This record gives sequence, C-alpha cells and structure tokens, in this order.
Amino acid sequence: MVKSRKKAGQYFLMVLITFLVVLPFLWMLVLSFKTNSEILSTPLALPKTFNFDNYKHAMETLNFPQLYGNTLFVCVISLISELIITFLSSFVLARMEFENEGIRKLLYGFLIIGLSISPFILLFPVYKINVFFKLRGKLALLFPYIATSISFNTLLFVGYLKSLPAEIDEAAVIDGCSIWDLMVRVVLPMTKPVIATVVIFNVLYIWNEFPFASVMLRDVTDYTLSMGASFFKGTYTVDYGGIVASSVMIIIPELIFYGLFQKNIVEGMTAGAVKG
Amino acid sequence: MVPTLLVYCIFIILPIAIAVRYSFTKYTGIGEAKPVGLKNYIRLFQDDVFWVSLKNTMITFVLAFALLLTISFLIALLLNKKLKGVDFSKALIFSPAIIAPIIVGIIWVYILDPNIGIINNVLDAVGASGLKHKWIGGDKLSPYSIAIIYFWQQLGYLVTIFIAGLKMIPEDVLEAVKIDGASPLQEIRYVIIPMMRTTISTVAVLIITGVFKIFEIVQQTTGGGPNHLSETLVTYSYSMTFASSDYGYGMSLATVTFILSLLITAVYSAITKEEKGGKRSRFSHISQRNARGQKQAGDTLEEREG
Repeated sequence: MVKSRKKAGQYFLMVLITFLVVLPFLWMLVLSFKTNSEILSTPLALPKTFNFDNYKHAMETLNFPQLYGNTLFVCVISLISELIITFLSSFVLARMEFENEGIRKLLYGFLIIGLSISPFILLFPVYKINVFFKLRGKLALLFPYIATSISFNTLLFVGYLKSLPAEIDEAAVIDGCSIWDLMVRVVLPMTKPVIATVVIFNVLYIWNEFPFASVMLRDVTDYTLSMGASFFKGTYTVDYGGIVASSVMIIIPELIFYGLFQKNIVEGMTAGAVKG
Repeated sequence: MVPTLLVYCIFIILPIAIAVRYSFTKYTGIGEAKPVGLKNYIRLFQDDVFWVSLKNTMITFVLAFALLLTISFLIALLLNKKLKGVDFSKALIFSPAIIAPIIVGIIWVYILDPNIGIINNVLDAVGASGLKHKWIGGDKLSPYSIAIIYFWQQLGYLVTIFIAGLKMIPEDVLEAVKIDGASPLQEIRYVIIPMMRTTISTVAVLIITGVFKIFEIVQQTTGGGPNHLSETLVTYSYSMTFASSDYGYGMSLATVTFILSLLITAVYSAITKEEKGGKRSRFSHISQRNARGQKQAGDTLEEREG
C-alpha cells in the first residue's frame, strides 16, 4: 500500500514536471493560431477559430526555402571540411609515433583549450579576419564554424581512436597497408559511432548558432534560420502572431529531427560533457 | 595535422590576440585604431553600466547555478527509477536544449511579457493582480527571469548527464546500502553524492561556462534594456562593439568577461580539488561514525523496547 502510493507519487511528479517543461511549446502552438488583436486583448483565451493567417504572413515575410538553403549550405560545407581535417589530425595525435611525447601532449592540450574559449571574444576579431580574407556573407561563417568545432572533435576523436587496439595498425602494416589505406579503409569505418556523434553535435550547433551569424551576415539573402527568427522583431515590432508562427515553423523540423535521432542526439550532446 | 592547426590558430588563437590588442586602442571602425594604453580599462571600472551588467550576470549565475544543480539532480534521481513512460518523459524534458536559443528567447517573451505574457494574465484572472510584476523589461527582475529561462533550457540536458552518472554507480553498492538499512536520504547523502563527485563537478563547470554564454535569451527578451539595466557582460560588450561601434572599449569588455569566466572556473575546480583530498577522509570518518551512530540508535531502541 505504502509502496504503491509512493509509486503513484513518482508518476504524478514525472507527469507534472514533463508537462511544465512542455507547456511553453504548447502555448506557442496555441498562440500561432490567434490573431494579433486576440493575442493583445485576450491573451489567455484559446483561439476562436483556427486561422492560418499567421503562417501565411510568416511565409510571405520570410523566405523559408532560402533560409533553409543557406543554413544547409553552411552546415554541409563546414561539416565536411571539419570532419576531414579533424579526423586526420586526431589520427596523427592518437596513433602515430612522435619522436617527442611532450610535443604530442602539447599539441593535444593546445587544441583542447578551445573548449573554454567563449565565442563572444572572437566575434569582432574574426569579422576583421574575414574582411582581410575577403570572405563575405555565407562564406564568412564557414571558417568560424569549422574552427570552433576543432576542440570538441579532437576531444572525441582522439579519445576514441586511442581506445582502438594498436594491434590493428600492426596487422594492417604487416599485410602491406599504406598509412593512407590504414586510415581510410581500416580505422575510418571503425570510427563510425563517434563520427555520428560529432556530426549531430555540430549540425545542432550550426543550425542554432546566432552570434556569429548576426555579425557576419549583412544581406537578407544570406540569412540563416536563426537570423530569420530574429528578423521579425526588427521589422514588425508588433506582429506577435507572425513571430510565433515563424518560430513554430523553425522549431518543428528541429523537433522532427530530434524525434528521429533522439538517441544519437542525446548521446552526442552529453558525450563531450561526460568524457571531458 | 597542418590544416587543423592552421584554421585553429587563425580563427581561434589569433582572434584572442587581436581582441586583446584592440582593447588597448580607441577604434570606431574608420581609419586607424589609436593606441590609448589602459584607458579602456580605467573607463570600465568607472562605468556604471559595466557594474550593472556584472551584477546582473552574477545574479543570473547564482540563481541558475543553485536551481540547476539541485533540481536537475533530484529529477535525475526520479527519472532513474523504473517507471513506465520514463524514456518518453526524458525525451520531452530534453527537447528545449536542442532548439535555437534565439527561439527560446522568443517563446519566453510570450510567458513573461508584462502585458501579453501568460504569467501576469493568469495572476489577473485569479484576482492576484497585486503579484503582477514586470518580469522582463522592468528595472529589477530581468536577471532573475533570465536565470529561469536558462533553467528551462538546460534542465533536461543536465538531467541526462546526471542520469548517466547515476548509471555508473555499481548496482551492488546500492544493494549493499539497502541491506544495511540506510534510509533513502542517507543513501543519497553518503553514497550517491560522494560517488557522483566527478559528474557533479562536470555539471557545475557546464553551468558556469554556460551562464557566461547566455546571449540570445537576453537579446530577445529585453535587448539589455531599459536603459542598459538588464544588460549582461556579454550583451553589453556586444552592444558596445557592434551597436555603438566602440570597438576598443567593446573588446576590453569582452576580454574582462572572458578572463572572469576562466577565473570562476579555475576557482571552482581549485575548491573541488582541495575538497576531494580532504573530504574523502572526512567522508569515511563520517560514514564510520554514522554506522556506529546507527548501531547505537538501534541499541537504545532495543533497550527501550525491552
């Protein structure tokens, strides 16, 4: 009796907490069907009719295909580049013999320091560097995103590559494998789980990133999704319905992505923390 | 190796040097940056807004730290139990962590806004208008509200990390504790918390560094206003740099903020390291005494019953 009451209490708490956390999302959904005057005059009431005007308006104001296209473009190019360079450098750090052990440790430590560097100190200097290299618009975002991923990727890759037994290398070399073959044909396929983690972590980062985007992107046609979300505030200060609807339209794909890869995402986001 | 180092040096290490260099200059974006020595830093110490944003950052930090560390730990204990639907619940609680911070800010405007937000309107509806406040955009409460929003955003993430830590405690230890007749509270106090020390400090460091990166939420809910009253260190340095084009001063703010967050992290890890050495022995002592105390209590109980 006591036990079942305790269980019931636990269930009650679980449902209550979950409900409280989800409530803001549900509220957004409700608001997105209300007209602006309804939001202003009767903030608590449910929408009288399901009208999709807010969504129509959001679609007219924001060029969603372009926003998604830009974000995807930046995301794919940064991801491919960073995966190639950080996998190679981590392979060197984890599995090659160094003449001096100290240098290996130093390099590793140097690359990991980045984890504690806040992006906000980088914004303006990176902007300057981009100007120097004549990188503009979307292209200006690629290097900052690649660079900020290096520390995290190094941490995960080196940690994982070190855990693979050294016999693999020896066997492969004895079988006449070149270093390149060893890396691409033998080690790379074994690294798949970490690559998945790294990809998901960085996709989420780039998808949501705002500070760099807000500094580098001047032209509306270059805007990424997070910039799109902030766009409404400046232009239509009072279009509450439009802001909500466009936010919902940005969130929903994210939540679907989350629903599909939930296990990997949770793993990816906590991996760095738990291992680091 | 070379490309990684190159990109890393040019876009992470070099910018820090550039930031520090600009922090000793006056630069408005036009012409050359004029070196002004320590002037920016002297100005910073005399700048009221700097102190306000430091205070706000600290309020948010203390509140978010206290709330997140305790409540996410407690929820982790709850969700670590075998309950039906617990995975679904975990997934939903985690979801705020994956959406863009800028959207998090937008969502909470509709909750906290003094006029159209849920909270004040609910208070009106239940006849408690006296409790209405300017949760955001007033002169006092914004940093507290920011802490609550950050709490909502990070809760599921930290709960997940705590659960991972809980799963690492060996089953048989917990069983042994149960057999020894420890109450759930004792179990948490003397077994679970000591065994999760590393997880706890990981979470603590995540909160510290995280609070110093809160930006979009403030930008979206208050924009630092009114009159810079809800500015945090990060938003203030951003607005000085990019809105006021006072790049030199903005960079000195950014440098100070950066050093401050490193400092707090360092202090925290120094404290916990010291405690680790000291506490382990203290802990074993306590647990011994505790066992003895329990036995004594049991004895007296028996005596009384007898």
